[in-house]
Amino acid sequence: MHSAPTTYAGVADVIAVLVLLTEFAMLRAPLLRSQVRLYMFQSLVVTALAVVVAATRHIDELYVLALLSFALKVVLVPNLVLRLLRDADVDLAGSSVLGVASMTLIAIGVSAFGFFAVGSLHVHSTALPTTALAVAAAVVLVAFVLIILRSDVVSQAIGFFSLENGISVASLVVAAGMPVVVEVAFLFDLLVAVVVFGVIMRVHHGRTKTLSTDELDRLKG
Amino acid sequence: MLGHSVMAPEGVQALQVLTVMLGAPLVSGAISHVEGRLQGRRGPRILQPYYDIAKLFRKETVVTEESSWVFLIGPVIAFGCYLIVPLLIPVLTTYGLPLGYMGDILGGGFVLALGGFAVAIAGTDSGAPYAQLGSSRAMTFGALIEPTILFVVFAVAIITSTDLPYALAATVRSSSAEMVGPSHVLAAAAFFLVVLADTGRIPVETHSGTLEFGMIDEARTLEHSGPPLALLTWGAAMKQLILYTILINVFVAPWGLAASGNPAAVALAVPSLLGKAVALGLVFAVIDNLFSKLRLFKITEFIAAAFLLAVLAVFLFFAGGG
Repeated sequence: MHSAPTTYAGVADVIAVLVLLTEFAMLRAPLLRSQVRLYMFQSLVVTALAVVVAATRHIDELYVLALLSFALKVVLVPNLVLRLLRDADVDLAGSSVLGVASMTLIAIGVSAFGFFAVGSLHVHSTALPTTALAVAAAVVLVAFVLIILRSDVVSQAIGFFSLENGISVASLVVAAGMPVVVEVAFLFDLLVAVVVFGVIMRVHHGRTKTLSTDELDRLKG
Repeated sequence: MLGHSVMAPEGVQALQVLTVMLGAPLVSGAISHVEGRLQGRRGPRILQPYYDIAKLFRKETVVTEESSWVFLIGPVIAFGCYLIVPLLIPVLTTYGLPLGYMGDILGGGFVLALGGFAVAIAGTDSGAPYAQLGSSRAMTFGALIEPTILFVVFAVAIITSTDLPYALAATVRSSSAEMVGPSHVLAAAAFFLVVLADTGRIPVETHSGTLEFGMIDEARTLEHSGPPLALLTWGAAMKQLILYTILINVFVAPWGLAASGNPAAVALAVPSLLGKAVALGLVFAVIDNLFSKLRLFKITEFIAAAFLLAVLAVFLFFAGGG
């Protein structure tokens, strides 16, 4: 089934935009659990994007990648984080330095930078409309905003994981035919990050009885 | 006989105004009927808004001693504004009518805003605290939602290189690719949220509530009675239908419009518009039942979300994804 290229470009762009919108939703999600669920959804959308690219461009390796990313990012990682949250059992509402409207405005400004920076690069790709690349750059930058402005370990971990989602979108745009080994290496990186963040969450919670990083302003233990 | 004749453009234009004027209470009635059904009530009759308006026109007008003529002239001005906007937007036809080029989307927005201003100032002039509170809030949130509307207009303007509503509707009709283009989808979604806020629907306001503290638009008219209240109620229904028409006929589904002055086609466009408006109203009724009202100070978050969608629509266009 091969749809018209313009419609395909539109659909792919809409999917990429969905990833960006989920990133913004994570920024405002008050509950840590809902943030993890948003990450789950975002990963699902990235997987869908991989499937769309694979089906339209006939790149079979991407199916393998989609399967792996589904297993890891939609099932394994969110459930691990949710289990950690269940064990921690404290302050389920994340903290943020600024109000939602101000955070959104800052993130809009930052993503504008991403859009126009990538727009001036003139990258061309055969697999995807390059708009998706600009969106991916915006996703990465908004993930940084999330990590910086939210002061709890879970948001920072989720920010880091979703940053990886942004990079996945970018890699689908720039190198749809990238060797699957490289893609799997990315996913392995993610696994390492999950382990690291899991340890951080446990240690942090064990020491301060909270997940908020606001407590980390004292030098003595 | 009818099939061969062609209606004068001026006649069609007058019919656009009449459609909005006479159809608006029907759409409101259908929405509140369905809303009642969704809440397990029988709901009011679909024609109830007509009876309400007729009843109010027969009642006497009560004016407080503190009020001036502004209190009485406000509803009339607002009603006049809502009669002008249907001249500017594609209500029944795909092609621009003689007065259709009098103003663009921004022009229509200004006329709508003037109507809102007239209602607000009439509410303020009543001297009653709740009406003044409503006017003040309506103006505040109106100002906050304005950037979103502007960015939606920008998005429309750069997609079509013009800001005439007819041009965007024609662009949308021209290809399905345009429909799924991210800029267009985002601008349409942002405008959907704007309509939700501007018609006083649930995440922003409980439109059928009686609790004054949560009111925004509703509170402005608390002090009016008799024919002025009838004009305000009618005007609110018209404003709602106008916003629905812009959302439907410019952004989402500009089909079923008359492509020529053929009387049969024009006659078919009237039920088509009202049908689409009722269908859209059902979506709003379902949203009404699914979500709870936001706290007053959380409304900025809702507006920030709408603004985000509209800004992204413009960004995406510049990033090449129009």
